[in-house]
Amino acid sequence: MSALLRATAAQPGPAGPDCLDEETIAAVVDGTMDPVARSAATGHLASCARCRGAVASVVRGLADTAVAREITAIDRGPGRRYVRFVVPALAAAALVLLLVRPRAADDGVSPHRAPTITAAAAPVPLAPVAAVAEARVLRWTAVPGADRYHVTLFDAGGRVRYEMQLADTVAALPDSVTLIPGQSYLWNVEARIGWDRWSSSPLTEFSVVAVPRR
Amino acid sequence: MVEWTVKLEAGDPDGAWDLFVERYRRLIFAAIRHYTTEHDEVMDVFAQVCESLRADDLGRLRRYLTQRDHRARFSTWLVTVVRNLTVDWFRHRDGRQRLSAIAAELPPLQRRIFECVFADGRSHVETYELLAAHEATGLSFGAFLRELRATYRAVAARRKGALMAELWGPPPPPEVEPAVADTLAQGEQAARLSEALESLAPEDRLAIQLFVVDDLPAADVARVVGLPNAKAVYNRVYRALAELRVRLERAGISGVDL
Repeated sequence: MSALLRATAAQPGPAGPDCLDEETIAAVVDGTMDPVARSAATGHLASCARCRGAVASVVRGLADTAVAREITAIDRGPGRRYVRFVVPALAAAALVLLLVRPRAADDGVSPHRAPTITAAAAPVPLAPVAAVAEARVLRWTAVPGADRYHVTLFDAGGRVRYEMQLADTVAALPDSVTLIPGQSYLWNVEARIGWDRWSSSPLTEFSVVAVPRR
Repeated sequence: MVEWTVKLEAGDPDGAWDLFVERYRRLIFAAIRHYTTEHDEVMDVFAQVCESLRADDLGRLRRYLTQRDHRARFSTWLVTVVRNLTVDWFRHRDGRQRLSAIAAELPPLQRRIFECVFADGRSHVETYELLAAHEATGLSFGAFLRELRATYRAVAARRKGALMAELWGPPPPPEVEPAVADTLAQGEQAARLSEALESLAPEDRLAIQLFVVDDLPAADVARVVGLPNAKAVYNRVYRALAELRVRLERAGISGVDL
Protein backbone atom coordinates (compact mmCIF):
# COMPACT_ATOMS: atom_id res chain seq x y z
CA MET A 1 0.00 0.00 0.00
CA SER A 2 2.81 2.39 0.80
CA ALA A 3 4.15 1.78 -2.72
CA LEU A 4 0.83 2.84 -4.23
CA LEU A 5 0.48 5.85 -1.99
CA ARG A 6 4.07 6.98 -2.41
CA ALA A 7 3.95 6.65 -6.16
CA THR A 8 0.85 8.81 -6.36
CA ALA A 9 1.93 11.31 -3.69
CA ALA A 10 2.01 14.88 -4.90
CA GLN A 11 5.35 16.68 -4.88
CA PRO A 12 5.62 19.93 -2.89
CA GLY A 13 4.42 22.84 -4.99
CA PRO A 14 4.84 26.61 -4.59
CA ALA A 15 3.43 28.34 -1.52
CA GLY A 16 -0.18 29.49 -1.82
CA PRO A 17 -2.15 32.15 0.05
CA ASP A 18 -3.69 29.52 2.36
CA CYS A 19 -0.38 27.92 3.30
CA LEU A 20 0.30 27.74 7.02
CA ASP A 21 2.62 30.26 8.66
CA GLU A 22 5.54 29.22 10.82
CA GLU A 23 3.79 29.50 14.15
CA THR A 24 0.83 27.47 12.93
CA ILE A 25 3.16 24.75 11.65
CA ALA A 26 4.99 24.79 14.99
CA ALA A 27 1.68 24.59 16.88
CA VAL A 28 0.54 21.67 14.72
CA VAL A 29 3.80 19.90 15.50
CA ASP A 30 3.48 20.67 19.22
CA GLY A 31 -0.14 19.52 19.19
CA THR A 32 -1.20 22.65 21.03
CA MET A 33 -3.94 24.02 18.77
CA ASP A 34 -7.53 24.42 19.82
CA PRO A 35 -9.98 22.09 18.03
CA VAL A 36 -11.31 24.72 15.62
CA ALA A 37 -7.88 25.88 14.51
CA ARG A 38 -6.65 22.30 14.30
CA SER A 39 -9.56 21.32 12.07
CA ALA A 40 -8.77 24.15 9.66
CA ALA A 41 -5.08 23.27 9.65
CA THR A 42 -5.81 19.56 9.13
CA GLY A 43 -8.03 20.34 6.13
CA HIS A 44 -5.20 22.31 4.55
CA LEU A 45 -2.48 19.80 5.42
CA ALA A 46 -4.46 16.93 3.91
CA SER A 47 -4.35 18.65 0.52
CA CYS A 48 -1.10 20.65 0.56
CA ALA A 49 2.07 18.61 0.04
CA ARG A 50 4.23 21.64 0.75
CA CYS A 51 2.85 22.34 4.25
CA ARG A 52 2.56 18.66 5.08
CA GLY A 53 6.20 18.24 4.08
CA ALA A 54 7.12 21.15 6.36
CA VAL A 55 5.28 19.56 9.30
CA ALA A 56 6.94 16.19 8.69
CA SER A 57 10.28 17.92 8.35
CA VAL A 58 9.97 19.81 11.65
CA VAL A 59 8.85 16.63 13.42
CA ARG A 60 11.98 14.87 12.14
CA GLY A 61 14.12 17.86 13.01
CA LEU A 62 12.90 17.92 16.60
CA ALA A 63 13.54 14.17 16.87
CA ASP A 64 17.15 14.70 15.79
CA THR A 65 19.26 13.78 18.82
CA ALA A 66 21.39 16.92 18.63
CA VAL A 67 18.36 19.22 18.29
CA ALA A 68 16.53 17.49 21.14
CA ARG A 69 19.60 17.77 23.34
CA GLU A 70 19.93 21.51 22.71
CA ILE A 71 16.25 22.12 23.42
CA THR A 72 16.56 20.19 26.67
CA ALA A 73 19.64 22.25 27.57
CA ILE A 74 17.76 25.50 26.87
CA ASP A 75 14.77 24.37 28.90
CA ARG A 76 16.98 23.46 31.82
CA GLY A 77 18.58 26.87 31.81
CA PRO A 78 22.07 28.29 31.42
CA GLY A 79 23.48 26.38 34.33
CA ARG A 80 22.77 23.04 32.77
CA ARG A 81 26.28 22.25 31.68
CA TYR A 82 27.58 23.27 35.08
CA VAL A 83 24.86 21.10 36.57
CA ARG A 84 26.19 18.14 34.65
CA PHE A 85 29.42 18.44 36.58
CA VAL A 86 27.88 18.84 39.99
CA VAL A 87 24.90 16.51 39.63
CA PRO A 88 26.81 13.42 40.72
CA ALA A 89 28.26 15.25 43.72
CA LEU A 90 24.86 16.67 44.68
CA ALA A 91 23.27 13.27 44.27
CA ALA A 92 25.84 11.75 46.58
CA ALA A 93 25.28 14.52 49.13
CA ALA A 94 21.52 14.03 48.93
CA LEU A 95 21.96 10.34 49.47
CA VAL A 96 24.05 10.97 52.59
CA LEU A 97 21.45 13.40 53.94
CA LEU A 98 18.71 10.89 53.27
CA LEU A 99 20.55 8.18 55.12
CA VAL A 100 21.49 10.24 58.20
CA ARG A 101 18.22 12.21 58.48
CA PRO A 102 16.20 11.11 61.54
CA ARG A 103 12.82 9.76 60.46
CA ALA A 104 9.84 11.56 61.93
CA ALA A 105 6.64 9.74 62.78
CA ASP A 106 4.75 12.01 60.41
CA ASP A 107 6.56 13.29 57.34
CA GLY A 108 3.98 16.01 56.92
CA VAL A 109 2.64 14.55 53.69
CA SER A 110 -1.08 15.00 53.31
CA PRO A 111 -2.87 11.67 53.21
CA HIS A 112 -5.15 13.14 50.54
CA ARG A 113 -2.35 13.82 48.14
CA ALA A 114 -1.74 11.23 45.47
CA PRO A 115 1.80 10.27 44.57
CA THR A 116 3.37 12.52 41.96
CA ILE A 117 3.47 11.29 38.39
CA THR A 118 7.25 11.42 38.52
CA ALA A 119 7.35 9.20 41.58
CA ALA A 120 4.83 6.81 40.13
CA ALA A 121 6.23 6.48 36.65
CA ALA A 122 9.99 6.80 36.76
CA PRO A 123 12.15 4.24 35.00
CA VAL A 124 14.35 2.10 37.23
CA PRO A 125 17.92 1.27 36.19
CA LEU A 126 18.37 -2.51 36.07
CA ALA A 127 21.94 -2.91 34.94
CA PRO A 128 24.70 -2.11 35.44
CA VAL A 129 24.35 -1.40 39.14
CA ALA A 130 27.17 -1.47 41.73
CA ALA A 131 30.21 -3.57 40.83
CA VAL A 132 29.85 -5.55 37.61
CA ALA A 133 32.17 -7.64 35.48
CA GLU A 134 31.02 -6.01 32.24
CA ALA A 135 28.91 -3.01 31.32
CA ARG A 136 28.43 -2.65 27.60
CA VAL A 137 24.64 -2.44 27.81
CA LEU A 138 22.42 -0.19 29.93
CA ARG A 139 19.00 -1.63 30.82
CA TRP A 140 16.08 -0.12 32.67
CA THR A 141 12.42 -0.81 33.33
CA ALA A 142 9.78 0.32 30.87
CA VAL A 143 7.43 3.10 31.91
CA PRO A 144 3.79 2.69 30.81
CA GLY A 145 2.92 5.27 28.19
CA ALA A 146 6.50 6.40 27.65
CA ASP A 147 7.42 6.67 23.98
CA ARG A 148 11.06 7.71 24.36
CA TYR A 149 13.90 7.38 26.81
CA HIS A 150 16.91 9.62 27.29
CA VAL A 151 19.84 7.87 28.88
CA THR A 152 22.99 9.64 30.09
CA LEU A 153 26.22 8.13 31.37
CA PHE A 154 28.59 10.27 33.47
CA ASP A 155 32.07 9.56 34.62
CA ALA A 156 33.19 10.20 38.20
CA GLY A 157 34.04 13.81 37.32
CA GLY A 158 30.51 14.48 36.11
CA ARG A 159 31.46 14.57 32.45
CA VAL A 160 28.94 13.12 30.04
CA ARG A 161 30.47 10.03 28.44
CA TYR A 162 27.42 8.88 26.52
CA GLU A 163 23.96 10.23 25.79
CA MET A 164 21.20 8.78 23.67
CA GLN A 165 17.48 9.06 23.03
CA LEU A 166 15.69 5.92 21.97
CA ALA A 167 12.39 4.12 22.17
CA ASP A 168 13.81 0.88 23.58
CA THR A 169 14.69 0.14 27.23
CA VAL A 170 18.16 -1.09 26.32
CA ALA A 171 21.08 1.01 25.13
CA ALA A 172 24.28 -0.58 23.89
CA LEU A 173 27.35 1.53 24.52
CA PRO A 174 29.29 2.19 21.31
CA ASP A 175 32.89 1.02 21.05
CA SER A 176 34.03 4.62 21.34
CA VAL A 177 32.93 4.63 24.99
CA THR A 178 35.59 2.86 27.01
CA LEU A 179 34.98 2.16 30.68
CA ILE A 180 38.07 1.97 32.84
CA PRO A 181 38.00 -0.92 35.34
CA GLY A 182 37.91 0.21 38.95
CA GLN A 183 36.53 3.68 38.19
CA SER A 184 33.04 4.75 39.22
CA TYR A 185 30.41 5.80 36.70
CA LEU A 186 26.90 7.14 37.14
CA TRP A 187 23.93 6.93 34.83
CA ASN A 188 20.32 7.85 34.76
CA VAL A 189 17.46 7.55 32.34
CA GLU A 190 14.51 9.83 31.68
CA ALA A 191 11.22 8.60 30.24
CA ARG A 192 9.04 10.86 28.12
CA ILE A 193 5.57 10.41 29.55
CA GLY A 194 3.86 13.19 27.65
CA TRP A 195 4.64 16.07 25.40
CA ASP A 196 7.69 17.65 26.99
CA ARG A 197 7.10 15.76 30.23
CA TRP A 198 9.89 13.55 31.44
CA SER A 199 10.29 11.45 34.55
CA SER A 200 13.80 10.68 35.67
CA SER A 201 15.35 7.73 37.39
CA PRO A 202 17.76 8.32 40.28
CA LEU A 203 21.45 8.47 39.45
CA THR A 204 22.83 4.98 39.66
CA GLU A 205 26.46 4.23 40.35
CA PHE A 206 28.43 1.32 39.02
CA SER A 207 31.99 0.28 38.40
CA VAL A 208 33.55 -2.37 36.25
CA VAL A 209 35.55 -4.87 38.26
CA ALA A 210 39.02 -5.51 36.93
CA VAL A 211 39.25 -9.19 36.04
CA PRO A 212 42.72 -10.52 36.92
CA ARG A 213 44.52 -12.11 33.99
CA ARG A 214 45.38 -15.76 34.29
CA MET B 1 10.80 36.25 31.15
CA VAL B 2 13.95 35.42 29.21
CA GLU B 3 16.65 38.09 29.33
CA TRP B 4 16.86 38.71 25.59
CA THR B 5 13.14 39.52 25.39
CA VAL B 6 13.53 42.02 28.24
CA LYS B 7 16.32 43.75 26.34
CA LEU B 8 14.26 43.78 23.16
CA GLU B 9 11.24 45.25 24.89
CA ALA B 10 13.53 47.84 26.52
CA GLY B 11 14.55 49.04 23.05
CA ASP B 12 18.00 47.46 22.95
CA PRO B 13 17.95 45.19 19.86
CA ASP B 14 21.75 44.81 19.78
CA GLY B 15 21.87 43.68 23.39
CA ALA B 16 18.87 41.43 22.82
CA TRP B 17 20.53 39.90 19.77
CA ASP B 18 23.73 39.12 21.68
CA LEU B 19 21.75 37.33 24.39
CA PHE B 20 19.55 35.58 21.83
CA VAL B 21 22.55 34.24 19.91
CA GLU B 22 24.22 33.15 23.13
CA ARG B 23 21.09 31.25 24.14
CA TYR B 24 20.02 29.72 20.83
CA ARG B 25 23.22 29.49 18.74
CA ARG B 26 23.76 25.81 19.45
CA LEU B 27 20.14 24.95 18.70
CA ILE B 28 20.26 26.83 15.40
CA PHE B 29 23.45 25.01 14.39
CA ALA B 30 21.95 21.65 15.38
CA ALA B 31 18.81 22.36 13.34
CA ILE B 32 20.89 23.32 10.28
CA ARG B 33 23.09 20.24 10.65
CA HIS B 34 19.97 18.11 10.53
CA TYR B 35 19.85 19.01 6.84
CA THR B 36 23.49 19.35 5.87
CA THR B 37 26.78 18.55 7.55
CA GLU B 38 29.02 20.20 4.98
CA HIS B 39 30.89 22.86 6.91
CA ASP B 40 30.71 25.60 4.32
CA GLU B 41 27.00 25.06 3.77
CA VAL B 42 26.33 25.05 7.53
CA MET B 43 28.16 28.33 7.98
CA ASP B 44 26.47 29.97 4.98
CA VAL B 45 23.02 28.89 6.14
CA PHE B 46 23.79 30.05 9.70
CA ALA B 47 24.76 33.46 8.32
CA GLN B 48 21.51 33.52 6.34
CA VAL B 49 19.47 32.61 9.43
CA CYS B 50 21.17 35.31 11.48
CA GLU B 51 20.68 37.90 8.75
CA SER B 52 17.01 37.02 8.45
CA LEU B 53 16.33 37.04 12.19
CA ARG B 54 18.29 40.24 12.75
CA ALA B 55 16.76 42.17 9.86
CA ASP B 56 14.58 45.17 10.68
CA ASP B 57 15.84 45.36 14.28
CA LEU B 58 14.91 41.74 14.98
CA GLY B 59 11.57 42.24 13.26
CA ARG B 60 10.77 38.54 12.97
CA LEU B 61 11.45 37.91 16.66
CA ARG B 62 9.61 41.10 17.59
CA ARG B 63 6.54 40.03 15.63
CA TYR B 64 6.58 36.69 17.38
CA LEU B 65 6.80 38.34 20.79
CA THR B 66 4.04 40.85 20.15
CA GLN B 67 1.47 38.16 19.40
CA ARG B 68 -1.08 37.98 22.15
CA ASP B 69 -1.01 34.26 22.71
CA HIS B 70 1.46 31.68 21.53
CA ARG B 71 0.19 28.33 20.45
CA ALA B 72 3.63 26.79 19.96
CA ARG B 73 6.75 26.54 22.06
CA PHE B 74 9.40 29.09 21.08
CA SER B 75 11.98 26.36 20.41
CA THR B 76 9.59 24.59 18.01
CA TRP B 77 8.87 27.88 16.27
CA LEU B 78 12.60 28.59 15.97
CA VAL B 79 13.32 25.13 14.54
CA THR B 80 10.50 25.72 12.03
CA VAL B 81 11.96 29.08 11.03
CA VAL B 82 15.46 27.61 10.68
CA ARG B 83 14.07 24.74 8.61
CA ASN B 84 12.29 27.10 6.22
CA LEU B 85 15.31 29.36 5.86
CA THR B 86 17.56 26.35 5.25
CA VAL B 87 15.28 24.95 2.55
CA ASP B 88 14.94 28.40 0.99
CA TRP B 89 18.71 28.79 0.96
CA PHE B 90 19.17 25.48 -0.85
CA ARG B 91 16.34 26.18 -3.28
CA HIS B 92 17.88 29.53 -4.08
CA ARG B 93 21.36 28.07 -4.49
CA ASP B 94 20.16 25.02 -6.40
CA GLY B 95 18.03 27.06 -8.76
CA ARG B 96 17.13 26.00 -12.28
CA GLN B 97 20.64 26.66 -13.55
CA ARG B 98 22.22 24.30 -11.03
CA LEU B 99 19.47 21.72 -11.56
CA SER B 100 20.18 21.84 -15.27
CA ALA B 101 23.82 21.12 -14.55
CA ILE B 102 22.81 18.00 -12.60
CA ALA B 103 20.39 16.94 -15.35
CA ALA B 104 23.03 17.34 -18.02
CA GLU B 105 25.04 14.48 -16.54
CA LEU B 106 22.12 12.02 -16.64
CA PRO B 107 21.11 9.64 -19.46
CA PRO B 108 18.24 11.04 -21.60
CA LEU B 109 15.34 9.21 -19.90
CA GLN B 110 16.60 9.98 -16.39
CA ARG B 111 17.14 13.57 -17.45
CA ARG B 112 13.46 13.85 -18.43
CA ILE B 113 12.40 12.17 -15.18
CA PHE B 114 14.59 14.60 -13.30
CA GLU B 115 13.04 17.58 -15.06
CA CYS B 116 9.49 16.37 -14.44
CA VAL B 117 9.92 15.37 -10.77
CA PHE B 118 12.62 17.68 -9.45
CA ALA B 119 12.20 20.78 -11.56
CA ASP B 120 8.46 20.72 -12.36
CA GLY B 121 7.27 19.04 -9.13
CA ARG B 122 5.17 16.34 -10.81
CA SER B 123 4.19 13.16 -8.94
CA HIS B 124 5.85 9.92 -9.96
CA VAL B 125 2.71 8.54 -11.59
CA GLU B 126 2.03 11.78 -13.41
CA THR B 127 5.60 11.76 -14.70
CA TYR B 128 5.20 8.19 -15.90
CA GLU B 129 1.97 8.98 -17.70
CA LEU B 130 3.53 11.99 -19.39
CA LEU B 131 6.59 10.10 -20.57
CA ALA B 132 4.79 6.89 -21.57
CA ALA B 133 2.19 8.81 -23.53
CA HIS B 134 4.48 11.14 -25.44
CA GLU B 135 8.16 10.42 -25.21
CA ALA B 136 8.81 6.81 -24.23
CA THR B 137 5.94 4.76 -25.57
CA GLY B 138 6.20 1.17 -24.49
CA LEU B 139 7.94 2.09 -21.23
CA SER B 140 6.61 -0.24 -18.54
CA PHE B 141 5.90 1.13 -15.10
CA GLY B 142 8.42 -1.27 -13.56
CA ALA B 143 11.13 0.00 -15.92
CA PHE B 144 10.10 3.57 -15.16
CA LEU B 145 10.47 2.96 -11.42
CA ARG B 146 13.96 1.54 -11.94
CA GLU B 147 14.93 4.67 -13.85
CA LEU B 148 13.27 6.84 -11.20
CA ARG B 149 15.24 5.18 -8.40
CA ALA B 150 18.44 5.58 -10.43
CA THR B 151 17.62 9.27 -10.84
CA TYR B 152 17.10 9.71 -7.09
CA ARG B 153 20.40 7.90 -6.43
CA ALA B 154 22.21 10.20 -8.85
CA VAL B 155 20.78 13.28 -7.14
CA ALA B 156 21.33 11.86 -3.65
CA ALA B 157 25.01 11.47 -4.46
CA ARG B 158 25.13 15.25 -4.45
CA ARG B 159 22.88 15.90 -1.53
CA LYS B 160 21.89 14.43 1.82
CA GLY B 161 18.79 12.27 1.58
CA ALA B 162 16.97 14.24 4.29
CA LEU B 163 17.39 17.45 2.39
CA MET B 164 16.32 15.82 -0.85
CA ALA B 165 13.02 14.81 0.73
CA GLU B 166 12.62 18.40 1.93
CA LEU B 167 12.99 19.75 -1.54
CA TRP B 168 11.35 17.09 -3.68
CA GLY B 169 9.17 14.92 -1.46
CA PRO B 170 9.63 11.30 -0.41
CA PRO B 171 11.63 9.04 -2.75
CA PRO B 172 9.96 6.17 -4.62
CA PRO B 173 9.49 2.85 -2.81
CA PRO B 174 12.55 0.57 -3.07
CA GLU B 175 10.65 -2.28 -4.71
CA VAL B 176 7.15 -2.53 -6.13
CA GLU B 177 5.15 -5.72 -6.57
CA PRO B 178 4.21 -6.50 -10.17
CA ALA B 179 0.51 -6.16 -9.27
CA VAL B 180 1.12 -2.65 -7.96
CA ALA B 181 3.10 -1.74 -11.04
CA ASP B 182 0.30 -3.05 -13.26
CA THR B 183 -2.22 -1.02 -11.32
CA LEU B 184 -0.21 2.14 -11.51
CA ALA B 185 0.67 1.61 -15.15
CA GLN B 186 -2.95 2.29 -15.97
CA GLY B 187 -3.11 5.99 -15.48
CA GLU B 188 -6.87 6.00 -15.09
CA GLN B 189 -6.65 3.64 -12.14
CA ALA B 190 -3.93 5.73 -10.53
CA ALA B 191 -6.24 8.71 -10.86
CA ARG B 192 -9.01 6.69 -9.19
CA LEU B 193 -6.65 5.94 -6.32
CA SER B 194 -6.03 9.66 -5.87
CA GLU B 195 -9.75 10.32 -6.03
CA ALA B 196 -10.48 7.59 -3.49
CA LEU B 197 -7.85 9.03 -1.17
CA GLU B 198 -9.28 12.51 -1.53
CA SER B 199 -12.74 11.23 -0.69
CA LEU B 200 -11.60 10.24 2.80
CA ALA B 201 -12.09 12.61 5.73
CA PRO B 202 -9.18 15.10 5.99
CA GLU B 203 -8.07 13.65 9.36
CA ASP B 204 -7.93 10.13 7.89
CA ARG B 205 -6.12 11.28 4.77
CA LEU B 206 -3.61 13.25 6.80
CA ALA B 207 -3.00 10.33 9.17
CA ILE B 208 -2.36 8.00 6.20
CA GLN B 209 -0.08 10.48 4.48
CA LEU B 210 2.01 11.21 7.57
CA PHE B 211 2.17 7.63 8.82
CA VAL B 212 2.42 5.67 5.56
CA VAL B 213 3.93 8.06 3.02
CA ASP B 214 6.08 10.28 5.25
CA ASP B 215 6.88 7.40 7.61
CA LEU B 216 6.52 9.46 10.80
CA PRO B 217 6.28 7.65 14.17
CA ALA B 218 2.69 7.02 15.27
CA ALA B 219 3.12 9.08 18.44
CA ASP B 220 4.09 12.13 16.37
CA VAL B 221 1.21 11.58 13.96
CA ALA B 222 -1.15 11.39 16.95
CA ARG B 223 -0.01 14.79 18.16
CA VAL B 224 -0.31 16.41 14.73
CA VAL B 225 -3.72 14.97 13.89
CA GLY B 226 -5.08 15.39 17.42
CA LEU B 227 -5.48 11.76 18.41
CA PRO B 228 -4.90 10.65 22.01
CA ASN B 229 -2.04 8.21 21.40
CA ALA B 230 -0.14 6.01 18.93
CA LYS B 231 -2.66 3.20 19.23
CA ALA B 232 -5.42 5.52 18.06
CA VAL B 233 -3.30 6.27 14.99
CA TYR B 234 -2.91 2.57 14.20
CA ASN B 235 -6.67 2.10 14.50
CA ARG B 236 -7.47 5.18 12.46
CA VAL B 237 -5.05 4.32 9.66
CA TYR B 238 -6.16 0.68 9.62
CA ARG B 239 -9.81 1.68 9.30
CA ALA B 240 -9.05 4.34 6.69
CA LEU B 241 -7.04 1.91 4.57
CA ALA B 242 -9.86 -0.61 4.78
CA GLU B 243 -12.27 2.06 3.60
CA LEU B 244 -9.86 3.01 0.84
CA ARG B 245 -9.68 -0.63 -0.27
CA VAL B 246 -13.48 -0.84 -0.49
CA ARG B 247 -13.64 2.31 -2.57
CA LEU B 248 -10.88 1.10 -4.88
CA GLU B 249 -12.59 -2.23 -5.37
CA ARG B 250 -15.77 -0.40 -6.25
CA ALA B 251 -13.74 1.57 -8.77
CA GLY B 252 -12.46 -1.61 -10.32
CA ILE B 253 -9.03 -1.75 -8.70
CA SER B 254 -8.45 -5.08 -6.98
CA GLY B 255 -5.81 -7.74 -6.60
CA VAL B 256 -3.38 -5.37 -4.95
CA ASP B 257 -2.38 -5.94 -1.34
CA LEU B 258 -3.92 -2.92 0.27
